[in-house]
Amino acid sequence: MDAIISTTDLRKSFRSKRGPVEAVKGVSIEVGRGEIFGFLGPNGAGKTTTLRMLTTLLPIDSGTATVAGLDVARRPKQVRSRIGYVSQLGGADDLATGRENLILQGRLYGGDLPSVRLRAKLLMEILDLNEFADRRVKTYSGGQRRRLDVALGIVHEPEVLFLDEPSTGLDPQNRANLWDHVRSLRSRGTTIFLTTHYLEEADVLCDRLMIMDHGRIVAEGTPRDLKRQVSGDSVLLSLHEEAGTMARARQLISAEPYVREITIDGDQLRLYVEDGSAALPGLLRLLDGERIGLRSISLSEPTLDDVFLHQTGRSLRDAGTATTETAA
Amino acid sequence: MKTFRDTGLLFQRYTLQMLRNPVWLFVGFSTPILYLALFTPMLKHIAPTLGVRGGGVLEIFLPGILSLLAFASGSSMGFSTIFELQAGVIERFRVTPASRFAILVGPILSGLMMMMVFDAVVVAIAVGLGFQVHWLGLAVLAVLLSLLASLMASFSTATALVTKDISSFAAIINGINLPILLLAGVLLPISFGPAWMRVVAHFNPLYYSVQASRSLAVGSFGSPAVWQGFAVLGPLCVLVVYWATRVFKKAVA
Repeated sequence: MDAIISTTDLRKSFRSKRGPVEAVKGVSIEVGRGEIFGFLGPNGAGKTTTLRMLTTLLPIDSGTATVAGLDVARRPKQVRSRIGYVSQLGGADDLATGRENLILQGRLYGGDLPSVRLRAKLLMEILDLNEFADRRVKTYSGGQRRRLDVALGIVHEPEVLFLDEPSTGLDPQNRANLWDHVRSLRSRGTTIFLTTHYLEEADVLCDRLMIMDHGRIVAEGTPRDLKRQVSGDSVLLSLHEEAGTMARARQLISAEPYVREITIDGDQLRLYVEDGSAALPGLLRLLDGERIGLRSISLSEPTLDDVFLHQTGRSLRDAGTATTETAA
Repeated sequence: MKTFRDTGLLFQRYTLQMLRNPVWLFVGFSTPILYLALFTPMLKHIAPTLGVRGGGVLEIFLPGILSLLAFASGSSMGFSTIFELQAGVIERFRVTPASRFAILVGPILSGLMMMMVFDAVVVAIAVGLGFQVHWLGLAVLAVLLSLLASLMASFSTATALVTKDISSFAAIINGINLPILLLAGVLLPISFGPAWMRVVAHFNPLYYSVQASRSLAVGSFGSPAVWQGFAVLGPLCVLVVYWATRVFKKAVA
C-alpha cells in the first residue's frame, strides 16, 4: 500500500489533577493514498488527540508519525502546507463573508490574490455555496457552515484532509449531502482521514476504518470485514415486563445450542446466533412454552456497533453519550 | 518577508472584524469620552491643590487617561483571544503555515491602530476643553503608549491562551489590573500618596508610563521620567512579546 499517513506506537498523555492520563496508548496506523479512512469510537476514546498530533497541533510524546512523506515532529511547517484540517468547531469568521474567509485562508497558505480568488470561486461552486458567497457567515445554516469549513480546509489543495467529527450537529439530510462532497473530494485524489462516533457514517462513508476505545485500536479493516468478524446475526428481544422475566428468559435461551452469546441491552435481550432466520421459530416456541410474553422481536445482520460490543464488551451507544438517531 | 505578509493579512482581518462590530466601537469611543466629561469637571476645583491653573488640570489628567486607555485596550485583547480560541479560529490559523509571530502580532497592531484613533478623538476633545497641544511631545508619547499597549496585549493574549476559559482569564486580568492601576497614579499623581505608595509604585511599569506621559504631554523631553519610561517599557515589551510567541508556538491543547 502506498501509505500517505503512517504512525508507529503513537502515544500521548496529559497532566490532570489526579496525575497523568494516557489519552493515546500506542496507536499504529497506515492510511493509503486516496482512501477515506475513519476513526470510530465513543467520545473520549482518543480520536481527536490522535488527529491533533497528526496535524501538528499537539506535540507527540513518543512514537513516530509520517504524513505525506514527512515526519510530523521534525518538519511541522512542511506538513502544514500539505494537509488540511477541519476541527469540530470549524472556526470560520462569523463577521466575514464566505468568500472573504476563503480568500484569507488561501493567502495564509501562501497563495497570491488572483489565484486565491479563482480558487475560492471554484470551491464555492463545488460545495454549493455560490448563493451565499457574499453573505456573512453568521447567517449560514449548519449545513452551509460545515461546507464552508470543508472548503477552508481544502483551499490549498492539500494531499490529505483531516475532518474531526465532520457531521456532528447536522441533520440526516445535510449529513448525507456532506458525505457526497467528501466522496467527490476523494474522487479528485484527496485522501480523507476522519473521526466519527456515528456508526452509520463509519459504515457508509469509510473505505477502511479503525475502532478506537480508551486510547487503543481495538479493530481495523473495511466495514464489511469488520462486520464479518462478528459471526452470525443478532436477535433483539423485547419482553413484557414482569418481575424476573428477563433473568428467566436469559437463562432459558442461553441453554439453547444455537445461541453463541447473550447480553442484556437496556430493557432488551440481545443474542448472537449463527443463522438468525433459522433460529427464530425455535426461539418463539421456547418462549411461548414457558409463557414468557414477547413484545417484539427483531433480527439484524451485524452492525459496527456489534463489532464494538464484541471487542469492548460495551455498546457504542452506551459508551458515547450521543449516537445518531439514524444510526444503524 | 513571509512574517510581514502574514502579519499584514491578519492585521487586515482583525481590523475588519472590529469595524463590523459596532458595539465594540461604541464602547471604545465612549469610555475615554466619559472619563473626560465626568471626571475633568471635578478636577477644576482641586486645581489649586495640584499646583496648576484651571485649564492646566488636563496636563495632568489627559496623559493619565491616555496611559489608562493603552493599558486597558491592551489588556482586554485576551477576551477576543478566548473567544477565537473557543470558536476554533486560532486552531484554524495554527494549522496553516502562517507565522506564529504574525498570528500574535497582527491583531495587536490592529488594536494599536484603533487605540490611536480613540486617542486622537480624546485629544481633540481635550483641546476643546482648553488643553494645549505639544505636537512633538504627543508624537513621542504615541510611541510610548504603543509600547505599553503592545506589552499588555501580548501579556493578555498569552494569559488567555494559557487559561483557555473566560472566567479564569477574567479573574486573573482583573485581579492584576486593579492594583496596577491604583498604584500608578493614573487619575491623580502618585505624589499625593503616602511614602510607601510612592515606593511601591516604582515596581509598577504603568507608573513609569504615566510619569513619562505627563512630561511628554507638556513637551519636557529632558525630564528623567521620559527616558526612564522608555527604559522600563521597551525591554519589558520585547520580553513579553517573545514569551507570548513561545506560548503560541507551543501546543494550545
